[in-house]
Amino acid sequence: MMPQQTWLRRWVTRALVASACLSLAACSRSPAEQQISDAQAAAARLQRSTAMLQRKIELAASKDFYLLLDPAAPELALMLRGAELQRYPVLGLMLGRPRVAWIQRGGHRPWRGVVWSGGNLEPPRPVLRVVQQDGGPSQEGEEPTAPPVPPTAEERYPVPSRYLIRFDDGLSVEIRPREADAAAGTWARWRTWWGAKWRDVVTAMRPRNRDALRLRVVLNPRDAESLYRALPPDVRLLVLDR
Amino acid sequence: MAAAGALLGLAWAGTGYRYAPVVDTPPTLTGDVPSDDRGLKQVTSRLRARERTLKARLAAMTPRGVFIVIDQTHNRLYLKKGDETMLEAVCSAGSGMVLKESSGKKREWVFDTPRGRFEVLSKRANPVWRKPDWAFVEEGQPIPKNPAERLDYGSLGEYALYFGNGYMIHGTLYERLLGRAVSHGCIRVGRDDLRVVWANAPLGTPIYIY
Repeated sequence: MMPQQTWLRRWVTRALVASACLSLAACSRSPAEQQISDAQAAAARLQRSTAMLQRKIELAASKDFYLLLDPAAPELALMLRGAELQRYPVLGLMLGRPRVAWIQRGGHRPWRGVVWSGGNLEPPRPVLRVVQQDGGPSQEGEEPTAPPVPPTAEERYPVPSRYLIRFDDGLSVEIRPREADAAAGTWARWRTWWGAKWRDVVTAMRPRNRDALRLRVVLNPRDAESLYRALPPDVRLLVLDR
Repeated sequence: MAAAGALLGLAWAGTGYRYAPVVDTPPTLTGDVPSDDRGLKQVTSRLRARERTLKARLAAMTPRGVFIVIDQTHNRLYLKKGDETMLEAVCSAGSGMVLKESSGKKREWVFDTPRGRFEVLSKRANPVWRKPDWAFVEEGQPIPKNPAERLDYGSLGEYALYFGNGYMIHGTLYERLLGRAVSHGCIRVGRDDLRVVWANAPLGTPIYIY
């Protein structure tokens, strides 16, 4: 009985020592291996940087307006033909994925470094046009009547406290002003939360590829309003990857 | 029944969107990855050269020198040079109004300012406006047959910078309306601001309107 136990103990000890040695060997790289690993990382960084530059050139070459979202800065810029038209500092950035009954829907899909197109506001910006009918020929000596002065964009319509820029192929950007509901009472805040929750529940359960990914971007209230009022239709988006 | 309701409530609570902070992922080399040092050096040098070329291409696409940005929603004109804003001016963009002709050809005009990239194509001091048909229709006046009757002196202010299709940046007699979208598609600027734009925007200056 004794010799068998000794043999077993030796065998276990040897196995432990061998596995420890193997782990140590795996952890400690030789200088040459470290050098290769560093070179690979540098090349990967360059590869990503060139890919981003390529995307930026594609966007700048087209006639479409586009948004550049840089999570590292962090800022959102409205661009056209390589010119920055407006820059909005980003105060918060989160990625949302749909889930149904605690189970995540849709696999992981690339969203950074990809050009998203067909971005439009939801709810859409109201288009209010004043129609003026000419008054027919005026009498001799009669002063022509001045056309009505249209209201400013701020006077025309309020900006929703939260809105989406929905892109084709399943990405949407949710713009939220910081402390959007701070001034509202508890009941109004609860109502907003309840409405948003129900909308999210319905959207998450939809079988279509709508809102498969949602980026939540928090902006200053003034910037959020300005972006809603000024965003051109069918905008494109590139989320930079560094 | 109560258990089913509780389960449904639990499922509802776990339905919607789960948000997480955006995390940077380290880049990984894709394609044919050489495993030796020499091969990697070649790849890196090739990528570095490509990066230089692409950066130069992108720089060539971005405006160099002075350019004009017009935010027609907020009726603002910016004169910029690189990242520096040389001038922020209150302006008036197109009203978006629709004018309908009730008699004759029953034409319709929409007074929008176009969006996109344009260039200063020509510049005129003391410009004379050749009034188009809609200007007469709007005022309920007969459209003149004599071209000389279309000429309007002084209403465009001291200067006009044409950027195509009859659109221009010009002055106005109605400075009190600046900041409101009241124009027929052109960009109206106050006298002092227009002088700065005139002095700093040569022919070919890019104009970006959004």
